[in-house]
Amino acid sequence: MKTFFMRRGSALRLALLCWMTAVLAAFAPVHAAADAAAEQAARQQSQPLNNAPVWREVRSGQEHFTVTRGPEAGVLIQSEGNTWRQWRNGPITQYGGVLLIVVPAAILLFWLVKGTMKLHDKPTGRKMKRFSGFERFVHWGTAITFLLLAVTGLAILFGKHVLAPIFGPAFLAGLLTVGKLIHNYVGPVFAGFIVLMILAFLRDNVWQACDAIWIKRAGGLLGGDHVPSSRFNFGEKTWFWLGVTFLGLTVAISGLVLDFPNFGWTRADMQLANIVHAVGAIVLLALACGHIYMGTIGVEGAYQSMKTGYVDETWAKEHHEYWYHDVKAGKSGHPQDSVTGART
Amino acid sequence: MGRMKFLCDAERCIECNGCVTACKNENEVPWGVNRRRVVTMNDGVPGERSISVACMHCSDAPCMAVCPTNCFYKTEEGVVLHDKDLCIGCGYCFFACPFGAPQFPNGPAAFGDRGKMDKCTFCAGGPEETGSKAEYEKYGSNRIAEGKLPACAEMCSTKALLAGDSSTVSDIFRDRVLRRGKGLEAWGWMTAYGSGDQQREQKREREGQK
Repeated sequence: MKTFFMRRGSALRLALLCWMTAVLAAFAPVHAAADAAAEQAARQQSQPLNNAPVWREVRSGQEHFTVTRGPEAGVLIQSEGNTWRQWRNGPITQYGGVLLIVVPAAILLFWLVKGTMKLHDKPTGRKMKRFSGFERFVHWGTAITFLLLAVTGLAILFGKHVLAPIFGPAFLAGLLTVGKLIHNYVGPVFAGFIVLMILAFLRDNVWQACDAIWIKRAGGLLGGDHVPSSRFNFGEKTWFWLGVTFLGLTVAISGLVLDFPNFGWTRADMQLANIVHAVGAIVLLALACGHIYMGTIGVEGAYQSMKTGYVDETWAKEHHEYWYHDVKAGKSGHPQDSVTGART
Repeated sequence: MGRMKFLCDAERCIECNGCVTACKNENEVPWGVNRRRVVTMNDGVPGERSISVACMHCSDAPCMAVCPTNCFYKTEEGVVLHDKDLCIGCGYCFFACPFGAPQFPNGPAAFGDRGKMDKCTFCAGGPEETGSKAEYEKYGSNRIAEGKLPACAEMCSTKALLAGDSSTVSDIFRDRVLRRGKGLEAWGWMTAYGSGDQQREQKREREGQK
């Protein structure tokens, strides 16, 4: 009887061992954890009270056991937060702040020296259609949401250095309570507009051979000489690819990560998203200063073209000569059409 | 004026979560928020260690440094407190804090609608009038003003969690470490609760078994 039990016991133990080996082999991380556990158990015998491995784990950032439920509740210490703090409070606030003072100041200086770029010939009074209703809707949708996000975003990063000392903490808190709501709800709308913007303007922003002339003469911005281009010149194309497409998508995607923590991102994910978002937004804003300048006081007639959708023929001839000729020849004015022949 | 500190003696913590419960009860903490939690490393393995963790009331507090509205302030006792009227619920303090202390009543909600941040106050209330209803509703009880220590530490059954003036807390802990000494009998129940005689007897038993 006794031997029977013993035999059954050893058979059970053998089965259990096989099963455990199979399980451990199937789950390599579990295996590693079991190894660490075995090591821990052995250490308790050989070196009691030497808890060095345990205390190293405290700072490892790994999830331990806890009955408390919450985001990353099992992590005792997450050290990345300090790195994020140093990046955000250090270079991003400092260099970003300097950049956003220097760029508008440089543009203002440029305007004071060079003045508005005026038409050389008299306007003909005959209008040409430059932007469709959809294109203007997308442009102004992007522009308004962008400005709302820029103002509220700047207040979140620089408010406590600029606004709080002047208007006090209560004012800043009130402003940011509204500002954060605007930023978080307008953000996804901006992301939608950015996608529409890319789709609407992609075709006419593909690089062409004639862009080389623009690059060679630096856009005629300094010399003021005439540079022919098709519907969009190389400067506008650069703004489209670098500003709208690359930086626009960068801030939109990183912003959506920050806006929807309910998808279970870790703190490290959101710290990275925040750094990318802040750097992208500051550079985008600096570039946008240039675009807004060119679209308003920088170039005569530019603002009217996006407001009404029409430009004077003289304006078209002086700023986008190839496009002007295409339209005059009865083509669509889209670059591909002028190459392959009229499709409209 | 002292410098208030928490210290959790991991050689004593038995993961009873009494401190968590005491805190929630004392301060009527909002649902979903745990100002204090107990984390166990190597759970179920000989040599497992538990630590009760909450806001550590840092000298150079990261939450304070990154807050866009400057809603944090430090009391004379070194307790880090915040003004919920200024909090916009951006979550930056949660990103920055090494201990996961700042919590939000709505949790990680869509559109960043977290609600106003809530964290351990060292049972020192908040910026509202001391002992007022508004203070209790927003920040919980102000035991420090009543001359009491935080409820979590007072409730701790093994006195693993110490709270109070840093010099007193470190004196107690230093004394414990010296008494524990070194060796096989130096940790666990025996060390914490057994008398010297019991310990010696148990040691003899162990040695006899070998």
